[in-house]
Amino acid sequence: MSGRPALEQRYRRVLRLLPGYYRATWEEDMVATFLDSWLTGDPETDQAVLTYCRPSVPEVASVAGLAARLYLGGAGAPRRYFAWGQAVRGAVLAVLLGNALLGLGQLLLLVRSDHLIGWLPAAPGGVWFDLSYGVGIGWVVIFVAVVLGDLRTARFIGALVIVAQVVLVLQAQLGDLLISPLATWTDWVLIDLIPVLALAAFHRDAPPRARRPWLLGLLALYLLVSLPLTAADLTGHQAWVPDNPGVGCLLVALLCLAHVPRAWSRRPGPGVWSLTLVLLATLAGLNRLITLAYYPHDPHLVKVGLVELLIMAAAAALVVPDAGRAPSAVPSPPPSRSLG
Amino acid sequence: MTIRSLTGQAFYILTALANGPRHGYGIVGDVADLSQGRVKLKIGSLYGVLDRLSSEGLIEPDREEAHDGRLRRYYRLTRDGRGALADEADLRAASARVVWARLGLGGAEAAG
Repeated sequence: MSGRPALEQRYRRVLRLLPGYYRATWEEDMVATFLDSWLTGDPETDQAVLTYCRPSVPEVASVAGLAARLYLGGAGAPRRYFAWGQAVRGAVLAVLLGNALLGLGQLLLLVRSDHLIGWLPAAPGGVWFDLSYGVGIGWVVIFVAVVLGDLRTARFIGALVIVAQVVLVLQAQLGDLLISPLATWTDWVLIDLIPVLALAAFHRDAPPRARRPWLLGLLALYLLVSLPLTAADLTGHQAWVPDNPGVGCLLVALLCLAHVPRAWSRRPGPGVWSLTLVLLATLAGLNRLITLAYYPHDPHLVKVGLVELLIMAAAAALVVPDAGRAPSAVPSPPPSRSLG
Repeated sequence: MTIRSLTGQAFYILTALANGPRHGYGIVGDVADLSQGRVKLKIGSLYGVLDRLSSEGLIEPDREEAHDGRLRRYYRLTRDGRGALADEADLRAASARVVWARLGLGGAEAAG
């Protein structure tokens, strides 16, 4: 390795993003083509290029994009990577669904802030509140766009939402409104930034999503979970309403319990949904732990949060064995819908 | 049976190989020329497509040649690759004829 030019070493480091089986076939050729694209034929210039230049950002991004496509496999991928791809896509859609649910809640707040429904109590308004309501509506658009397969729109709105949220969190931080800035930023990374970045899992090899269950899921969860919780909140029963990370934990726990009969049956499925649930539980658990920092002076709420976490962990443990089967049990993916 | 169409990048790469075997950097340059500079392949994108074309049996390695102490691998079209490229060219030509006719540019007769 040490005898290789610095530029080559840097590019090989980038190529480590790719799975081993892929590098075994293509790495040497990729390096040769990459160096060909830099070298001029003039010995002095080439020496300087090989010593001081670095792979460009678009070049690194193209390798990262290829790595995402290979690890989160779709049509034509090895079964192990297909299983991970399907599980991550399911988990991302579930998180987007959760954000869209909160977004529908923000829509209701926007309606209330504009006094559009007279009998509902007014919600706060103003530029910053309107921006946060807009972010919520953005999540609804992102979720629907991903389900319908319009990834371009989802990524565009996702980028806008992420920027808007950075502005909102910075404004709150500068106004000394955050109880725990570290927890807020970590929460933002986990629940907002990662799902938007993970839209890369929905590449063109990814099988199309089943639209109806996801769209009906949004409607059903809004009617069965969000509206009752909002009603309890508005009628003075706030003490009975878990916070959002708590609701997330309890919903994931319910999904795990609902899936247990299938996961433990004599003829279980391919285990991908179990793997999705384990990924969701990990994310929801981290989010729950981090957001406990929002209650530094309320040990009761910290205890409640820990109980929510334990309930979810116990439920998720029941599907872990089935999740472990997924990488080898998933059937081979279908062929690609397009050539090349 | 569903006819699977070629992606834009795959179409240009197969077209680059239609003249004879090319190595990776040769393909990048040829694709840029063919597309009049509109398609600039990054290495990650190129090898993503080459991998898929190879696994679909549309291209195959031709030979390896040493160049500046490194091996350049050349690729060539397979018979299936020629067929897929010809089908895609027919499809695109037919689409182009429809566009010319609808725009009243008289290209339909010229192309036909």
